[in-house]
Amino acid sequence: MHTQDLPQLASVEEIEAGFEAHGYICSRKIATAVFLAFQLRKPVLVEGPPGVGKTELAKTTATLLDVPLIRLQCYEGLDEAKALYEWKYGKQLLYTQVLKEKLGDLLHGAKGLAESVERLHQFGDIFYSEEFLEPRPLLKAMQQDKGAILLIDEVDKSDYEFESLLLEILSDYQISIPEIGTVKARTSPMVFLTSNNTRDISDALKRRCLHLYIPFPSVELEERIICSRVPDINEQLRHQLVEFVHSLRQLDLKKAPAISETIDWARSLLLLHADQLDEQLVSDTLNVLLKFEDDIEATGPELRSLLHPPGN
Amino acid sequence: MQSNLLNFIQVLRSNDVRISPAETLDAVDVAATLGYADRSLLRDGLAMTLAKTPEEEVIFLECFQRFFHQGLADFASGEVPADDAQAQSDADETAAGDDQPGGASEEQLPSPLESAAADSPQLQALLESTLMQNLLQNDRNQLTLAMNRAGERVGLQQIQMFTQKGQYTRKILDELGEAHIRNAVIELERADSPALVSLQRYRDILREQVRDYVEREYLLQAKGKTRQFMDEVLSTTRLNNIEHMYLHKVQELIRKMARKLASRHSRKRRQLKRGQLDMGKTIRKGIPNEGVMFNTYWRRTRKEKPQILAVCDVSGSVAAYAKFLLLFLYSLQDVLPKVRSFAFSSHLGEVSDYFQQHPVEKAIELVNWKYGGATDYGSSLMDFAGLALDDINSNTTVIILGDARNNNGDPRMDIMQSIYQRSRQVIWLNPESRRAWGTGDSEMLRYQSACHFSAECNNLKQLERIIDQLLKSTR
Repeated sequence: MHTQDLPQLASVEEIEAGFEAHGYICSRKIATAVFLAFQLRKPVLVEGPPGVGKTELAKTTATLLDVPLIRLQCYEGLDEAKALYEWKYGKQLLYTQVLKEKLGDLLHGAKGLAESVERLHQFGDIFYSEEFLEPRPLLKAMQQDKGAILLIDEVDKSDYEFESLLLEILSDYQISIPEIGTVKARTSPMVFLTSNNTRDISDALKRRCLHLYIPFPSVELEERIICSRVPDINEQLRHQLVEFVHSLRQLDLKKAPAISETIDWARSLLLLHADQLDEQLVSDTLNVLLKFEDDIEATGPELRSLLHPPGN
Repeated sequence: MQSNLLNFIQVLRSNDVRISPAETLDAVDVAATLGYADRSLLRDGLAMTLAKTPEEEVIFLECFQRFFHQGLADFASGEVPADDAQAQSDADETAAGDDQPGGASEEQLPSPLESAAADSPQLQALLESTLMQNLLQNDRNQLTLAMNRAGERVGLQQIQMFTQKGQYTRKILDELGEAHIRNAVIELERADSPALVSLQRYRDILREQVRDYVEREYLLQAKGKTRQFMDEVLSTTRLNNIEHMYLHKVQELIRKMARKLASRHSRKRRQLKRGQLDMGKTIRKGIPNEGVMFNTYWRRTRKEKPQILAVCDVSGSVAAYAKFLLLFLYSLQDVLPKVRSFAFSSHLGEVSDYFQQHPVEKAIELVNWKYGGATDYGSSLMDFAGLALDDINSNTTVIILGDARNNNGDPRMDIMQSIYQRSRQVIWLNPESRRAWGTGDSEMLRYQSACHFSAECNNLKQLERIIDQLLKSTR
C-alpha cells in the first residue's frame, strides 16, 4: 500500500475525519499512530484496558481503506499450524492411496530397488507444494493482492514461543516455509496487534512495533463517541451519564466500565425512555455497566454521592 | 536538529528508558515524516517509537517537556527589584526620550552607570562589550545563545554529580566574560560610586541565570546517571551494611530484579497439543487397514512441572538479611508458578498464604512476628519434613536461606539427607562468607554435604546471579 493510492491516509487530520465518518471517534494520538504505521510500514501494538476500542480501531481502518480484515485471535497453545499454514495431510494421504496404482506403471521396467527409488526422485516433492498448503490467517494476509489489515488480537494470551514466530512477519512481511521457501507479501498488510497487558510482551516484538496506549477517554471525547454511536439520546442525559461513568472509574473496582459498556448503557437507557438519571434507574441498570457482583454491591451505597457530586 | 534528537535519546537512556539503535533510526524516520512544526504531534509520534510501556511513556513526556521546552532565560526578571528603581529608570527614559525623540539604545542606560563610565575608561570598555550590551538591553535570544555556546565549550553535558554544579557555573561565567563585570564592581566599590548598585544587580542576574541553566542541564543529563551509580553501589553492598535510609531503595531494586527475572523466565511451559505429524505412528496404526492411513497421529511434547520449596531463616542472627530474603521470596512467588514458602527460627511453618493474601510489607511483618526467635535447625527440619517431605520428588528444588548456626543443637542430618535424596536439587544460600562456614556453632560444612549446590549470598548481585542460574536449571 502506498500513500499516493490512498488519499484516506494522507495526513493525520484526514485520518481523524475518515474515522469519524465511519463512527469511530478517536483522539489525535490514535490518528497519528495509524498515520505513522502506514508511512513507515510498521505494525502497531495497541495496549489499553479492555473495551476502549482496540479491536474496533483495526476494524474501522479496514472499512476506511476498503480492504479485507484478517483476524487472528490468540490463545494459549496457539501454534504455527493454526496461525501460519498447515499441510493438508488428509489430502496428501488420500492422494497417495489414489496414486498407488499409478506407482506400478511408473516403476514398470525398473531394475532393483535403487533404480526404482531413482525414478521416484525425479518427481520431486509434489506432495509438498502450494496445492497442499492450507493457508492460515498470517499466510492469508500475505497473499492478498490489494493488501489487508491483519489484526492479531490479544497477543498477550499467546505463548512466548508464538511471539518469536511473529517476528519475521512483522519486520519483513514474509514467511519462511521450509518445504517451499520464502513467501513474500504481495502487498504488505497493515498490522495491528492488541494486548491487554496480562503479561509483558518481549522486547524483540515491542521493538518492531509502534507502541500505542489507549487510555479511557476524556469526558468530551466520550461524549462525542456516545453522540456518534447513540445519536438519539438527548444531550443532557448524555452529559449526565458520561460524568457518572467517569466518576465510577475513579472508584476501586474489579473492572472499570469501558467505552463499550458506556455505549451499551446509553442504548439501554434509551430503550427505557429515560431522560434523566435517578437513583432507582441507575441501580436497576447498573448490571449493564458493572460486570462483577462485588462491584455492583460496592457501588450501591455510593450511588447517591456519585449522582449528586458535592460540587453541584 | 538531528543531533538534537540524538541528544534527547541520550537523555532518555540515562533516565532508564531502553532505546536500541534501531529505535533511534525509527525515531529519526518519525521526525522526518511528521516534521518539527507541530510539537504535540511530534511528541506523540516519538513516544510511540521510543516509549514501550506506560511507565516509560510518563518518563518520556517529562523528559520531552524538559528537553524541548527550555524557553529563553529571562534576564529582566530581577532587574527591577524595587519600585523606586523602576520609577527612576522610567523617569530617565522619558527624559531622554523628550530630548531626543529617536533615542538610540544608549539613552536607555541607567544614568548612574553612564556617568560613572565617563570617569573610567575600563568601565566604558565594559559597557561596550557584547555581554554587557546584551544584558543592558535584555536581549534574551543572544544571551541564551551565548550561554548555550559557553556550556558546550566547557563540556556541560558531561556533568555527572551534583557537586560539580558550582564548578560548571563558574566555568560558564568565566567563558561568558563575567570577570570584567566583577573587576568593574570592585573598582566602583573602591570609588564608592552610585553606579555600584545597578552594576551589581546585572552581575547577580547573570549569575542566577547561569546557575539555573546549569541546574536544568544537570537535571536533564545527570539525574539518571547519579541514580544508576547509586543502584550499582547498592546492589554490590553487603545487605547488612546498607543504611536504613536506603532500605526502600533496595526494596525497589529487588522488585526490579524480580521483574527482570520474571520476564526472562516467565515463559509458560505447556503441552503442545498438535505439533508435527508422527509419521511412524500414523503408518503403524494404518497397518490393520491394509496400510490405509485413516487417522493421523501427532507428536506430543512432555510437560514437566517444576516445583520449588523455599525455606527461609528469620532468626535474630540473620535478622539483617531476613527482610531481604523474605522480600525476595515474595517476589519469587510472581516469577515461578509453584513456590511454597516456609519460614522458621525455633519452629517452622508454611507462609505461602501470607504472601498470597497480603501486600509485601504486611506479609513480612506477619512472618517475622509469627516465626521470629532463636534458631533451632533440628526441630525446624523436623517440622519441614512433617509438612513437605512427602511432596518432595524428582522435580522439586529446595532452596534454603540461612546461616546454619544451630546454637549447638542437633543438626538432624538424617532429615537433611532424606531431603537431598528425594529432591532434584537442594540449594543452600548462606549470607555468611565462605570462610566463616563451620566456625563456632555453624553447621554449614555438614549441611553442605547434603546440598547439590551451596553458595555465599550477601548482596543483590549474587542473589540475582544465583536465582538466574536456578531458574535456568529448573526449566
